[in-house]
Amino acid sequence: MKPRERVLTALKRGIPDKVPWIENDIEEGLQERIMGMTQFTPGELCEKLGMDGFGYHFPMGGQATAGQAMQAAVGFKESYYYPKKVTFDFVPPWIAEMGVIPETGRTFIKQGLLTSNDSLKLFNEYLPDPDHPARYEQVSKWIDKFKGDYAVFARIRLGSASTLESMGLVEFAYNVYDNPDLIKEIHRRFSEWSAKVVEHLNQMDFDYYWANDDHADTKSTWMSREQYLEFFLPYQKIVAKAIKKPWVFHSDGNLLPIIDDLLTLGMNGIHPIQPAAMNIKQIKAKYGNRVCILGNIDLDYTLTLGTPDEVDKEVKERIAAAGPGGGYIVTSANSLTDYCKTENVWAMASAIKKYGKYPLDPNLLK
Amino acid sequence: MAEMTEIKKELQQAIIKGKRDAVEPLIQKALADGLNPEEIMNAIMIPAMDVVGEQFSRNEIFLPEMMIAARAMNIGLGILRPMLIAKGVSGRGKVVIGTVKGDIHDVGKNIVSMVLQGAGYEVMDLGIDVPPEKFVEAINQYRPKFVLMSALITLTMSMMGETIKVFQKSGVREKVKVGVGGAPLTQSFADRIGADFYGKDARAAVIKCNELI
Repeated sequence: MKPRERVLTALKRGIPDKVPWIENDIEEGLQERIMGMTQFTPGELCEKLGMDGFGYHFPMGGQATAGQAMQAAVGFKESYYYPKKVTFDFVPPWIAEMGVIPETGRTFIKQGLLTSNDSLKLFNEYLPDPDHPARYEQVSKWIDKFKGDYAVFARIRLGSASTLESMGLVEFAYNVYDNPDLIKEIHRRFSEWSAKVVEHLNQMDFDYYWANDDHADTKSTWMSREQYLEFFLPYQKIVAKAIKKPWVFHSDGNLLPIIDDLLTLGMNGIHPIQPAAMNIKQIKAKYGNRVCILGNIDLDYTLTLGTPDEVDKEVKERIAAAGPGGGYIVTSANSLTDYCKTENVWAMASAIKKYGKYPLDPNLLK
Repeated sequence: MAEMTEIKKELQQAIIKGKRDAVEPLIQKALADGLNPEEIMNAIMIPAMDVVGEQFSRNEIFLPEMMIAARAMNIGLGILRPMLIAKGVSGRGKVVIGTVKGDIHDVGKNIVSMVLQGAGYEVMDLGIDVPPEKFVEAINQYRPKFVLMSALITLTMSMMGETIKVFQKSGVREKVKVGVGGAPLTQSFADRIGADFYGKDARAAVIKCNELI
């Protein structure tokens, strides 16, 4: 199988020739360490790692950016329309005051700005025109140039993370009781923006989408099931209905309080099954007949502090737990961050090759 | 006595349900009925937040309910604080809290901060990316009982140990109890860096502080 077919087969809960490996993001500093150079194509990175697809962003065309390049507000529209560095991201900016750590260049949200009805006017100031053709044209050229046999995805949002981050969790929490219509209006606007973007992406040569919308921490979701049904699901559906390709949903943390409702959105895959929050074997057993499972290689310890032997053992265990019957894609339990040990990424690559071939080794499953 | 019990119930429910507008009139009524501020805080309001904390840790309520309860609690404490200070009664004490240098995550830290305030602590939140020297400055300035440090990523966990070393060098380590928390942390990590305690979530952090007062 070619990498693209391998990923799409697993996303449709089929059994590919081997367990695929893709990542939601590989931070650019780590990409450079893996490649040993600063300018390379997405395909070259995939080939070197033995990875089956790409999306996210690359240092090609500029310099590596620290972290996940959270979107800053100032000058965002122009840099969104005319990206200089290779990117496949189509996420809206945070409507927030941003900060930057000078030593590392990492940006962060100082404070959400959508805190009142009056603040809704900021949408016009911050959100780019979703119908502006320039970004779509540029990214289409990059897909043509770099796609090869790889599965290429666009990162999008359903609007939930944008709502929570642009309000701030505390303001969100208060407004559930103080001004529920404000939350709904904010989510509706972000979701309608994403739905328009997706209509354009549907015309492009992407193989699938990866929607990034954190809803939870390791303890639980930040909202009750009732609040999810009232404040989130109806607006997420606006985007889900626009999607005409396979797609993966990402949220860190413990999604169990809302997972049955979440899956009604019709995504093909769910990511990243954070080990500190959910048990992949149980998730596969309960939901593996509805959705492909992606992730679960730990970032809190194994990839960042562990040894290559521990990475090998964990990949083996995860493939044994979620690989049988197909419908499993190996990924880290969030993304490959700058602070992952490079030797552990290589250990992950080698373990996937060693243990991931179908039919799975019966000894692995004992 | 029956009336006092009624007020107690009403005030506790107002806090548990986060009904901020009901808190002030109920406190005024309790004071008018002869309850002293210390009793209102310790026998009515703090136990109400204990209920909220337990419900939150069991996932019976979620962030919005916990936050509005903490807000109602803080409104109540704002009314009582001048009276308590005038009587020379201190609350449970001061806590300095911050996300360590290099780390920009603040969700967990903010939740812990709100829950601590709700439990009667006076919280000095130093924000994110806090260098060790800033913690030391805050210890000297505020004289807190506790310093709580948060880190969400393994990259910055080691900064907690570095910060404790700076406390030792600056001669302030023995003046405070140090607690640490964050997704990648464990008790053994906390032990290794010489912290006094590890809190796996906001509720655990409050319980540990209460034990160590």
